Amino acid sequence: MNPENSEIGKGRAGGGDVIVETVSRLMVPFIQLFALYVIIHGAGGPGGGFQGGVIFAASFVLLVIAFGIVDAGDRFPEAANIAFISLGVYIFAGVGLLCIILSLGAAQYLNYGFIPLTTHFEENRALGIDLVEVGIGITVMAVITSIFFNLAWKRESEEGGREE
Amino acid sequence: MKLLPTMGLIFVILLGGLFIYVAEDIPAFGDPYSPPNKYVNLSISIDAAELEDNLNQGVIPASLMDKIEERGLPLPSRIEKVEEGWDMIIEKGELHYHEEERYYFVTEEGDALWVYRYAPIVRYIEKGHEETEVPNMVTYILADYRGYDTLGETTVIFTAGVAVILLLRRREKRPE
Repeated sequence: MNPENSEIGKGRAGGGDVIVETVSRLMVPFIQLFALYVIIHGAGGPGGGFQGGVIFAASFVLLVIAFGIVDAGDRFPEAANIAFISLGVYIFAGVGLLCIILSLGAAQYLNYGFIPLTTHFEENRALGIDLVEVGIGITVMAVITSIFFNLAWKRESEEGGREE
Repeated sequence: MKLLPTMGLIFVILLGGLFIYVAEDIPAFGDPYSPPNKYVNLSISIDAAELEDNLNQGVIPASLMDKIEERGLPLPSRIEKVEEGWDMIIEKGELHYHEEERYYFVTEEGDALWVYRYAPIVRYIEKGHEETEVPNMVTYILADYRGYDTLGETTVIFTAGVAVILLLRRREKRPE
């Protein structure tokens, strides 16, 4: 934000401001809680995996803006990010595959009713939808975070090269 | 640090194998007997007494027309014999259809004629809540009836993430 501050605070793209850091550190848990609420609430009202994942990613974007790419990047390593990207799709596809496995081949792929979570067929479908939404949320969160981090790293390294 | 990349690679490989398996299981497009595309029972019935010949000749009984009109549904213009029943077709221009639309399905159960309705979207709206126990219509259509579609959307986002990582990733950890 302030170019003078960024020169003083070494390795911090924007930040070094106490108020910005404190307020964002205070805000991040609430944003993440709201994101989880949106994901879980997707079955009962407006919301869902896509929206909740984007809100969750917004909390990491806020962290990067407040603390700079280096400190925020340490909190969310890239390797874990890559694992999360495929983990979400894997949960979605795996829930679909569970339906086939647990019904011994009788059900169609993604026919959630055959996952024996409860005794009611319809309740199983509702819970299957929730599981799938969690998978979507994880993928969207990791992809948005990954895109933002990679773009920010690139800019950071280019600026660093210019100074040298 | 070697653990997480290895796990990521395993996940991606398993996912690829899973998609190949899934591709075998997708129902044929437009299959009327696939679960989401069944008919919806309109609870309209008349006695079937000696009406089959009339139906086969393309005559719609007046009592049936009256019952359909009572419900405020569009009137059929002609009737055709298909296997296991009859299709009633509404005229071009009725509702929002640009061509003649196969709209009702009449079948004989017991000694009564029952009228069903085509169009899967009617089933989603009328039956979705009792079939899935989810109050939000958007969610149950998106994640349940249109599960393949959403799986594809998630895969598109996954592909976008992989492409960004391949193009923009920087190997060095810290600029300092």
